[in-house]
Amino acid sequence: MIPVPFLYLLQNVMVQYAGQTVLHIPSMHIPENIILGISGHNGSGKSTLLRLLAFLEHPTQGRVRFRQATENTSREFLRRRITLLAQSPYLLKRSVLGNVAYGLKIRKEKQVEEKVSEALDMVGLSPARFLRRKWHQLSGGERQRVALASRLVLRPDVLLLDEPTSNLDQESTFLTRQAVLQAHEHWGTNLIMVSHDLEWLAQVSQTTLSMHKGRIQESSYDI
Amino acid sequence: MEYLWQGLFQALELLVSGDGQTFSAIWVTLRVSTMSITGTLLIGIPLGFVLGYQSFPGKKGLRLIVDTLLSFPTVVIGLLVYAMVSRQGPLGDFGLLFTVPGIAIGQIILGLPIIIALTASALEHIDERLRHTLLTLGADKRQVMLSTVWEARYPILAAAVTAYGRIVSEVGISMMVGGNIKWHTRTITTAIALETNKGQFGMGIALGLVLLAIAFAVNLLLHVLGQKTG
Repeated sequence: MIPVPFLYLLQNVMVQYAGQTVLHIPSMHIPENIILGISGHNGSGKSTLLRLLAFLEHPTQGRVRFRQATENTSREFLRRRITLLAQSPYLLKRSVLGNVAYGLKIRKEKQVEEKVSEALDMVGLSPARFLRRKWHQLSGGERQRVALASRLVLRPDVLLLDEPTSNLDQESTFLTRQAVLQAHEHWGTNLIMVSHDLEWLAQVSQTTLSMHKGRIQESSYDI
Repeated sequence: MEYLWQGLFQALELLVSGDGQTFSAIWVTLRVSTMSITGTLLIGIPLGFVLGYQSFPGKKGLRLIVDTLLSFPTVVIGLLVYAMVSRQGPLGDFGLLFTVPGIAIGQIILGLPIIIALTASALEHIDERLRHTLLTLGADKRQVMLSTVWEARYPILAAAVTAYGRIVSEVGISMMVGGNIKWHTRTITTAIALETNKGQFGMGIALGLVLLAIAFAVNLLLHVLGQKTG
């Protein structure tokens, strides 16, 4: 029995690239109000699963449902509620303000600079120092945190994080953890994270899944 | 050698004294090249986006044609446009022959392959993570297209400089479609050709200097624009 309401429901999902199956999930649900950690080796299908959950890719077969969204719900509408931070995020060729404000501007939101400053504070970047910096004037860790801020500023229903700490030092890792947990506590943002760092996942997640060769191997809840 | 120095001296005199004929050619050149580059960018950037970013059958063949058109000789374009806008041509009723808009049509045809090919090339080499980033930040199809073009703004600016350089310096189209009519369709390049034939090196050199100054000003403007949008 699938508990209602669910956050995601995956039914008979298969993803193939060039005829090769990279993900196969016969049935799975992800409950609401969750911090889910997904682990697995390279090529286990973790990142593919995240792209499906972000509605950036279509499964070759099967269906991914988000809450009560129907077949007719546009993917654009869903992507305004769900956002993905990739392992090596791309920064737009703009200032930090331009990057973090991008999602707000296309949603025609107001008080943009105030919200951007708040998001930068959350990830431990001082708005006074960073707001006007260009994308090429940032270190690797700062770039990662600016990319995270540009997702947090949207106050998404779901934040998907693909190896969020893989290129970060200890301090940035700590700040990232604090920021995403703050989003979960304050705005009820669901967190779904993929990481090799089992220790980090254990510290942050409430529930865990492990994947192997495109399949769910183990889960700490009844999927 | 002395006649060249005389020509240069005469050129400066013409420019300083505000000679009517010289400034008429400059004004016509600025008008027609502005119309042409505007039309070229408005048509060329969306077409370059489609060619560089989208996938469709026959894309490679189309790309080959656009690349071939990069070396379209200006006199051939002039000939084609002349045939189209002359009284017997399909666009004859619009009265475009020997007019500034007539020259602009030819120059747009000249500039389009440059903008299309270089925009397409810029977009083919754009970071593949960009599309997913824009989508996951909530962009719709139109916003993805506009933001992608904006991300490629530096190579597109370079394409605009290249196209403007080719447009402002061409002679064949202006001569054939414009007719080199004094005070009306005489551009800097057609005036240089005419004045040199008449042995009037002074005006030729004066106009050549102005042409270089215009090219420098456009490059400077786009360079500053590029820095401001960084």
